[in-house]
Formats: sequence, C-alpha cells, structure tokens
Amino acid sequence: MAESSASPVPSGRSGRRQGPARRDVSERSEDQTIALGRRSVELSGFYQGKIETVPKVPVRSLADFALWYTPGVAAVSKAIEADPDRSFDLTGRWNTVAIVTDGSRVLGLGDIGPRAALPVMEGKALLFKCLGGVDAIPIPVQVSSPDQFIAVVEAMAPAFGGINLEDVASPKCFGILEELQSRLSIPVWHDDQLGTAAATVAGLLNALELTHRSMREIRTVLLGAGAANLVTARLLLGLGHDPHRLTLVDQRGILHAERDDVDELMLRNPWKYRLALRTNGGGRTGDLAAAMKEADVLLAASTPKPDTVRPEHVQSMAPGPIVFALANPVPEIWPDVARSAGAAIVATGRSDFPNQVNNSLVFPAVFRGILDARARSIPDEVVVVAARELARGATRKGLTPNHLLPTMEEPEVFPEVAAAVGDAAVRLGIARHRLTHEEFLDRAITRMSRPARLVRALARARLTPPMPAGGSGSRRNR
Amino acid sequence: MTATHEPNSHAPTSSTDHASAPIHLRPARAADIPALVPLLLRLKRLNEEFDPLLKVREDAAEQARGILASNLDDPKSLVLAAEGIGADKDKVVGFVRALIRERPFYVPEREGVILDIYLLPLYRRRGVGEYLLREVSHALKEKGAGLVTAEFPAQNEIAVRFYTKRGFRPITAIHARSL
Repeated sequence: MAESSASPVPSGRSGRRQGPARRDVSERSEDQTIALGRRSVELSGFYQGKIETVPKVPVRSLADFALWYTPGVAAVSKAIEADPDRSFDLTGRWNTVAIVTDGSRVLGLGDIGPRAALPVMEGKALLFKCLGGVDAIPIPVQVSSPDQFIAVVEAMAPAFGGINLEDVASPKCFGILEELQSRLSIPVWHDDQLGTAAATVAGLLNALELTHRSMREIRTVLLGAGAANLVTARLLLGLGHDPHRLTLVDQRGILHAERDDVDELMLRNPWKYRLALRTNGGGRTGDLAAAMKEADVLLAASTPKPDTVRPEHVQSMAPGPIVFALANPVPEIWPDVARSAGAAIVATGRSDFPNQVNNSLVFPAVFRGILDARARSIPDEVVVVAARELARGATRKGLTPNHLLPTMEEPEVFPEVAAAVGDAAVRLGIARHRLTHEEFLDRAITRMSRPARLVRALARARLTPPMPAGGSGSRRNR
Repeated sequence: MTATHEPNSHAPTSSTDHASAPIHLRPARAADIPALVPLLLRLKRLNEEFDPLLKVREDAAEQARGILASNLDDPKSLVLAAEGIGADKDKVVGFVRALIRERPFYVPEREGVILDIYLLPLYRRRGVGEYLLREVSHALKEKGAGLVTAEFPAQNEIAVRFYTKRGFRPITAIHARSL
C-alpha cells in the first residue's frame, strides 16, 4: 500500500516500532490544541464576536430609509402577505439560515449549555458564510424539552430559508429533526447526522471504487451508534447495502434484535431499535472482534478513545479492507497502524492526515444548492446526491488511496455539489425555484466566491482590524 | 414434570389455524422453563423502564423459575409458549402467562387475567400479539372465565394502545406510593 506523504509518521513494517511514534503524534496534536485554544480566547476577546450584519443595499442619504423602511417597505409587506412565498424574493430569507442548538452536545465537550455553545455557533456561521456564501445566524436556545425546542424553531421559521441544527445530543436529535422536517416547509438539517453521514458515504463510494467492491456485496461494520452512524447506516441501506451484512457495534457490543437492552432501545431510541431489528447484527453477536472478522469496511465514528480498534481487528478483516477512523481528535486507530495491519484505504476526521472525512465538505454546498432552489425540504435522496457528487469531485484530481475525497483546497468541486443538490430538488418537486443546471452552477460559483472577496476588501479597508500579535509564547506575526 | 393441566385440550397445536402468524403456539412444559425465564425477565425489565416502583429484584431469575414451575402445576394457571418457525424452529420466541381469578362479589364469577405477554422484537408488529391474545382469551374462556383482563404498568402506553384497540377498557385502578 502506498504510504501517506502527508502523514507526520512514517509507517514502518514492524508494528512494534509505532508505539512511541504514535504517542508523538498525539502529544504534538495535544500541545497544538492547547496553543490554538489559548490564541482563540485571546482573539475572541479582541474581535468580540466573529460575524456582524452589514447592509447589502446602497444608503446614499437618510432619504433612502424611506425605501428600505417605512413608508416604502409597507408595500413589500403587503406583497408578501398576499403571497407568503414572495418572502423568498423580496427579503434576505432565501439566503438566511438559523444555526440552532440547545448546547446539549457541543464538540467533544458535552452538555455545556447554550451560552457556552455560542462561540461554536458563531464559528459555524463564519464557515457558512465563507464556504457557502450563506448568511447564518447563531441561535443557541435555552429549552427544557425536545417539544419546547421544536416549538421554538417552528416559531422562528418564517425568518429563514433553512434551519441548521447543531450539536444537539443523540438520540433526542433524531426526534427533533424528524418532527421539524415534517412541520416546516423549509429544509431542516442536522449537521452531526446528515453532514457527517454524507461525507462518510462519499468517501466510502470512492473507497469501494478503488478496491473494486460493490455496495451490494460488502460486509460493513459501523462502530459507534450515535447521530452520524445511525444515519450512515440508513443511507447505506438506501444505496442497496444488504442489511444482513451490516453490523452496528456500540459500547455494549454488536447491536442485534435479541440484545439485552433492546426493549429499552424500543422506548428510548427507536431509531437504533429499528436498525437492531433490520440488521440483526449482520447475523452476528458478540464484541467488536466478532464483528470485524472478514468485514470489508469499518466505519468508526465512536467516542474518541485511542486504540479502540486494534491492529488484530484490522488483520482479521477481508483482504485489503477499508478503514475509516473518524473519532476526533484521536482516531479509533492511527492511520499508520491501520495500514501496517493491512488496510488498503484509511480515512480519518483530521486534516493532518490524508482523506479527511469532514462535514465542511458537505454542508456549505448542500445549503448553497437547497437555498438557491428555495427547497421546501431536504430528503435523503438529496443527501445521497450530494455524497455522490462530492465523490465524483475527488476524481478530478485523480482518485488514489490518499486522495479519496476533495479537500478544502479544491474549491471548484463545491459549486458542482451545490448545483447537483439544486438539480435534485427540482427533480424531486421540492424546489420553489426551478433553475437549470447551468443556472444553479453559475449562482453557486458567484455566491460561494463572493465572501472571500468581501473578507479581503474589509481587510484592505482596515474595517476588519489586522490580527494582533500573539501573547507570550506564540509567534509574532508582524 | 409434565404439564397435565387442561389447556392441552384447547391450546392450538397446529399452525394451520393461524397461517399468517410466524409462530407455533403450544402449552409450556417444564423443559421450557430455562428458555422462558430470560423472556419473563426481559418483560419485567421493560416494566422497570416505565416506573421506578417496578424495579426488578436481584433474585428475579430465581423467582421466575419457581413461579413458572408452580404455574405449570396449577390448573388455574396457563402458560403458553410461542415457538418460532424456519431458522427459529423449536426456539421459544415468546410466551403468555395467565391465571383464573375468582370474583366473589361480582358477576361474571371468574376472570381470566393476562399477567405477561412477551415476544422477541423480530416477532413483533406481525400480528402475533393479536393472535396470542385471541388464543389465550379462548383458553381462559374454556377454563370458565367470563371476562378477560390484562395487567401492565399504567405508564406503558404501547400496552394501553394494544388493548384499547381490541376493546379493553380500564376497570380497576391500582395506585401506589412508596413507604
């Protein structure tokens, strides 16, 4: 297997040699994380927030306010009252997304509450703008139940073209998403479910292509049964994966129809329960080791813990297996170890290894596409279209075991994904704007490239102050 | 120990009269007890999910063994075992436990009480529960019951819906508080 040129650790033949090297990687990454955190706090104090609202209309004199505000604006309101869908044409609604969280599962930090979630939501809004040209508003909410969460989001829907749920704990995120999707006539997305699952499926499609496997024949192990993997399982089954060759594994081992906790799941996590019945462990019971034997694919999205997956597990898989170790920041198995144990293709969630599986590859383009189509919803078909187009995007630079997915440095791919999503919305009859492929693509290119120009212009005009030099211990940048 | 109680005579022993149900229902035997105990415990643990006052005892398995054994000897008790078909042939995949209770003050004078119905998940939502209910009701009637009742945790809305849909309504309420 080709070694990763980008990997900070040379993968040797001998498994023994890798222990210290791996500790290096994890230590280095830990030091780096601490340094980045310190700098982030410093800069957050300096800039006091990451986004602000900026006028998008000319204001030549105070007289113009009579157009943008009362009395002129009353006629705009009347037009929308007569036809509510005109709110997508006459206001910024078409391009505005709410990033809503209850702060119940933020990053790897857990239930830190809505206030502490705000910096993360601001960061997400920045990504939405810079990568997708989407105006996203961070809205952490203080709620005491899923029903209240649903009611709050439903109440704010008139202001938005789409809703992005963020960092909501599993399993309540499933019920909240399903209920909001059925109640609202705008797309509702939960990035931790759909974004991660779409990126995973995209990577898997290319990994199957590279190893000459077919979705219908593979045996797959999903390690971790949280937001991302339960949706990945659903998408794989939708793509024709044999349920009897799909094995889900969580902390209690293989998930099957007669596991001791299955009745509890029926009450507390019906989504997991349904998969327990449908896959029935892929015909297996027991632990991860039992699940991995002869499997073609491992998709691990579990709680980050080093050495969750052992080299012996990978060795017991079918020849030339595919290993996705997506836990962040510490993957379930280090890429060099997985490769030495025989993995043909390895992906992680980290940017410092090849093949990063990351929702940032998905959500900006998906939202660009569904917003440009003024879509009413976002069914799984659209998610799969995004995954397929993302997978296709990687082939532009050539598909190799170390180039499974496009990276953020291949920006030409993302408008294509957006346009494919727009096309899918039209095809499925959920688009308010039925544009052609070329129209979707043109708009996506324009809208996704504009923020970079905006950011540069603001910096040039010194409206965005330059980054201050770092405090003690960090490098000066002037 | 062989079950010699009367339900043998009316509990269905052939699968031809329930062609749609993927199970084979028969009176339980002593040899079934090892298979029945874990199913009964699953049901009790499910009850525990509904109410902390239904917390399962540490020695519940032992208790279950004893109670099932005495049920099989008791003509006023009824335990039916559901066997799977196909790959699950000869495997107990569910059961019903019921008893005849005297009603000294009311008519009808005898009531058939369904204490437990449990089916493994893969056998649910396929009409099997309904079939079990029909068969146990029939068996209880043959034992002299003039009405059939079912006992389950008040918070178990799945059970409430199941029985309500089939013509059951609340008749006696049991309210509890810890001491």
